[in-house]
Amino acid sequence: MMDLAKPQVMDRATQSVQHAATQERGVAFVDALDGIMGSARATYDEVLASLPVPHRRVERWKYTPVASWWNEVKSAEPMTAAEAGCEPNPIPGFDAYRLVFVNGSFDAAASDLPVHPGVICMPLSQAPVESLQSIDQHQPEQAEWFAALNGKFASEGMYLRVEKNTILDRPILIHHHSTGGGSVSFLRHDLVIEANSQVQCVQWSTASDDAVGAVNVVTRASIGENTRVSLDKVQDEAGQIKHVAFEDIRQDRGSRADVHTVTIRGQWVRNDLAFRINGEGAHAELNGIFLPLDGEFVDNHTTVDHRVAHCTSSENYKGILYGKSTGVFNGKVFVRPDAQQTNAYQQNANILASDQATMNAKPELEIYADDVKCSHGCTIGQFDNEALFYARSRGVGLEAAKAMLVHAFIGEVLQGLAVPEVRLEVEHRLAEKHQWEIWSDHPDNES
Amino acid sequence: MLKINELQASIDESKILKGLNLTINPGEVHAIMGPNGSGKSTLASVLAGREDYGIDGGTVDFNGTDLLDMDATERARAGLFLAFQYPVEIPGVSNINFMRAAVNGKREHEGLDPIKGKDFLQMVKEKAKLVELDGRLRNRSVNEGFSGGEKKRNEIFQMAMLEPKLAILDETDSGLDIDALRVVSEGVNAMRSPDRSFLVITHYQRLLDYIVPDFVHVLVDGRIVRSGGKELALELEERGYDWIKQETVA
Ligand SMILES: Nc1ncnc2c1ncn2[C@@H]1O[C@H](COP(=O)(O)OP(=O)(O)OP(=O)(O)O)[C@@H](O)[C@H]1O
Ligand SMILES: [Mg+2]
Repeated sequence: MMDLAKPQVMDRATQSVQHAATQERGVAFVDALDGIMGSARATYDEVLASLPVPHRRVERWKYTPVASWWNEVKSAEPMTAAEAGCEPNPIPGFDAYRLVFVNGSFDAAASDLPVHPGVICMPLSQAPVESLQSIDQHQPEQAEWFAALNGKFASEGMYLRVEKNTILDRPILIHHHSTGGGSVSFLRHDLVIEANSQVQCVQWSTASDDAVGAVNVVTRASIGENTRVSLDKVQDEAGQIKHVAFEDIRQDRGSRADVHTVTIRGQWVRNDLAFRINGEGAHAELNGIFLPLDGEFVDNHTTVDHRVAHCTSSENYKGILYGKSTGVFNGKVFVRPDAQQTNAYQQNANILASDQATMNAKPELEIYADDVKCSHGCTIGQFDNEALFYARSRGVGLEAAKAMLVHAFIGEVLQGLAVPEVRLEVEHRLAEKHQWEIWSDHPDNES
Repeated sequence: MLKINELQASIDESKILKGLNLTINPGEVHAIMGPNGSGKSTLASVLAGREDYGIDGGTVDFNGTDLLDMDATERARAGLFLAFQYPVEIPGVSNINFMRAAVNGKREHEGLDPIKGKDFLQMVKEKAKLVELDGRLRNRSVNEGFSGGEKKRNEIFQMAMLEPKLAILDETDSGLDIDALRVVSEGVNAMRSPDRSFLVITHYQRLLDYIVPDFVHVLVDGRIVRSGGKELALELEERGYDWIKQETVA
């Protein structure tokens, strides 16, 4: 079913009643969390109160069903990775610094914090208050209710400060695992990477098979001049976890930031990724793949804000939707009046692998400068029948032929992942989930 | 090997094959010629299992099994191969991975384990030599950006890799330069054997100088209207199709 802009048909009276009800439920939700977690930061109360609670009537949540899942809130059970039966390193043998969180709390024993000149890295709860305040000035949570919620309740995450001219020798892996029990886990990662540095980060989220609950993650990164930062973000949560994630990336002159978002698994996922390009000569790279199976929902909202001249951005999201799954892509590109000579590219291609799958895709380009190069493309299609027949005529089975096309389709995004070990593990897990024959040279695959 | 009896097929309501009969015995090479649009590629596609066509009547027996009852994959695994008139490009799938999946599909059918990487590469090297396939083409995406001639060569390379029982070559000669025509024909001839048959679709006698057929058939308007030995091709080259069409109507 193609669904680019389905009008919302409802009579007015019902609309406002429903919206009020949602708002009320939102307030009740915040109160319940207050009870459980204690009201951490009073300032966020006002922010929260001023923001609309996500609902289909709110433009940015039009295709994202949120109403039903926050009725019951319980406190997260503090647990270690060992108690949760969770392997601290989701990638066997991956040589990286590691921060492990279970149900929103830090597991020091399972972690392996960076020890490196010029690098300060610690759990957020131990970070100096002044440094947090300096980051807080930016307040990306002004715009979104879930992010403001995170601002109020998140007390754990990663604090990373990298001094200028530092090249970190290994990636930093942040692994979050949920066991659920109906709880909401909040994580906030604050990164300040100064000039001329290089850092690779990996965010990997997992959950137990019987997990129920929600995860709310906010990542804020300030990227200094001529600095390169990559974030490979992998979502592979079993059970019934609702995952809301916000990334707020601010780039200085000459920097390059890459964010790759791979949703392997997730019952309900909303990713909100925003780049603010504040310095000339910077490049933003944002790519993603999502392959929801029957019943899964994946939503990627992205914003690239070109604020100054001579910057480039490149965006490529690919979706393959199986069964009765739903996908949302919304890609905003702003080119402000001063951002002359911007070169912005956006591509979103989707394959509906089933006639019951739905994809809502919307590119939104707002261009206020005249000397720019912006291109975008958005497609929703089916498998290429000619290619399938060709492969089958060579004795390849239908499912294997489809897997081959899928792998080719997502190949360029997979290849773009910054950390090779992540790419291999992602391929391996995708193959497992979709029962594909494996193409990769993953260690578990001997041929 | 293959016995086609009164085969009728249509696409989008229009009847293309209108009662076609053809028997191919093991080891034989049959050529089919005929005017544009007469149904030659349709026959090839129907035999290979393309699902866009409706089968309105008739039977096809392939080595004792009902060919029309099998899907495209099963037909290929049972030993049927079609070299496409217009080979399909598959961006992002390397030629070599494509063939590996194909070879392993066939091996699975035969109850064999997947081929070992080393053995596979050895096989690729050997078969590529047969049709002088440029080594670089093996690692490129399937047919993507290949020249017309390279695509046809690649088809014959794939045929050599899969060692089919019956190979249907649909205008494999079109797009080949003179040297390539010779090389590809020699590749085909090298594969001729008492238990392998070929159905060669072509417009030109030239190909049949290299791949000498045992029988030549003329397909007009969905039926085989005349069959003969290799001399029939020479006669067609000289006289065209009109005289046959007229005799058929008469
Ligand atoms: N999808 C389709 N819908 C309608 N008619 C079709 C379709 N595909 C093929 N045809 C028609 O079927 C007829 C037979 O086509 P076919 O490709 O089998 O001819 P051919 O003998 O191989 O011709 P050529 O020598 O040009 O390759 C043609 O008239 C063609 O237009
Ligand atoms: Mg044809």
